[in-house]
Amino acid sequence: MSYYDVDSILTDAQKLPCTFELEVPGLGILEGNPGEDIKAGTRMDLPLWLGEMLSIGARLGTSRLVTLDMPDALSERVMNALKADPRTVDLRALAPHFYSLSERILEIFEEEEMVDVLSDTFKKRAAEIADHAHNPRGAVGDGVDFLRGLDETERQLFRSAHDRAKEMRIWSGEAKRK
Amino acid sequence: MAFPHPRGIIPSEIAFLAEMEMVTVVPRQRLEGLELLGGPIEPLVPPRRASLPLWLALLLKRQRRANIIPPAWLHPDPLGLILEVESQHQDYKNAFSPPPPLPGQPSVQDRAALEPIARPQYTPDGDRYYPSPPFLAQNTAQASTSARDMPALPFHWVEVGNMLLDAASDDLVDPDQTRRLLKDLREVRMAKMRSGVDVLDAAATGGGGVALTGVGAMEVGEERGFVAGVVNGLRKIGASKEQARREAMAEQRANGGYDGTQDDEEEDYMEF
Repeated sequence: MSYYDVDSILTDAQKLPCTFELEVPGLGILEGNPGEDIKAGTRMDLPLWLGEMLSIGARLGTSRLVTLDMPDALSERVMNALKADPRTVDLRALAPHFYSLSERILEIFEEEEMVDVLSDTFKKRAAEIADHAHNPRGAVGDGVDFLRGLDETERQLFRSAHDRAKEMRIWSGEAKRK
Repeated sequence: MAFPHPRGIIPSEIAFLAEMEMVTVVPRQRLEGLELLGGPIEPLVPPRRASLPLWLALLLKRQRRANIIPPAWLHPDPLGLILEVESQHQDYKNAFSPPPPLPGQPSVQDRAALEPIARPQYTPDGDRYYPSPPFLAQNTAQASTSARDMPALPFHWVEVGNMLLDAASDDLVDPDQTRRLLKDLREVRMAKMRSGVDVLDAAATGGGGVALTGVGAMEVGEERGFVAGVVNGLRKIGASKEQARREAMAEQRANGGYDGTQDDEEEDYMEF
């Protein structure tokens, strides 16, 4: 996670449901009506970086501005689906940076079970990714739905595994360099 | 512009490193001894065998000035045996076949008869030393110590096998069969490597590790990106849990509960 890492920046921009605890004068611009106030109890999707900053009072013990909720991508429903079969879930549709997001969320919330579920998911899917990377079945094969549902981290994994296998084949003379 | 290659070491670079391996040749022409950076080369006198670095041997082979004697493992019989061990043997369902024994290390069969195969070598200054891989002759014809020994794949088996098949296939016994066996072996071992993802979370938590005994250089190079990516991903997901674990441990230590005993005992302590 470096400062210039585009994926890290994009993760920061993912939306997180927040509830305002206090009334904030003049912040109505977030809701789409500039000049107005934000009432206490308003629910709103804020980017991760903003929500994290505003909720920081929660950790210091002072009155906080917003409370954070679990994003839809990490809801109970999704966790159950992942528990049932990690391979059929379309992570990309849930969040393009699913793992980076969950990593950030897990820093904020203490969710032991979620760590286990996600680790298991990552492992199972990684094995599947390796299979696809080494035995390409073309763009119309049976794996296409799975590959379309990979999140950014998994795509990089697929890429590195696939490129390495290809380089290997080129070196050993089984394939021609294009 | 960004560096065009992915991180890590690419196949041609690994093959370059493998060219330092010593192989046995039968020269067809005389050649005076050469002073190479890697050490002096003995003079080549036609009917006598000599050990040369792979790159020089391949060069002489291409010029038809020498024949290469393939290493003992590069033969359909031992390769077939290794393949059988890799794919059928119960003990090696999830492990790779063992690497060649180190000098002085008794082979699996004759633990009783300790006969160290290590021969000391001398530096130019006269100091004695025992070579270890990759400076060990694992690909010379003499490298097979005895027939009872289980054949084993050396560290650079993919590279040496491939290069010899390319350049010196007429010196090998049954090159087509050898090529096929090498390919099968690679497939079997790669599949193991990939199915080994399950044990990788041991590497992601603190103090864990995964044994890669017997894995060749090219295989490491090929799987490096993927395995490192998986371990990194698991580490990031488990970071909060790991953090909590460390905090708990630090707290115990601060409370004086840590007395240098093992971790399980620490956990027992936590329940009080």
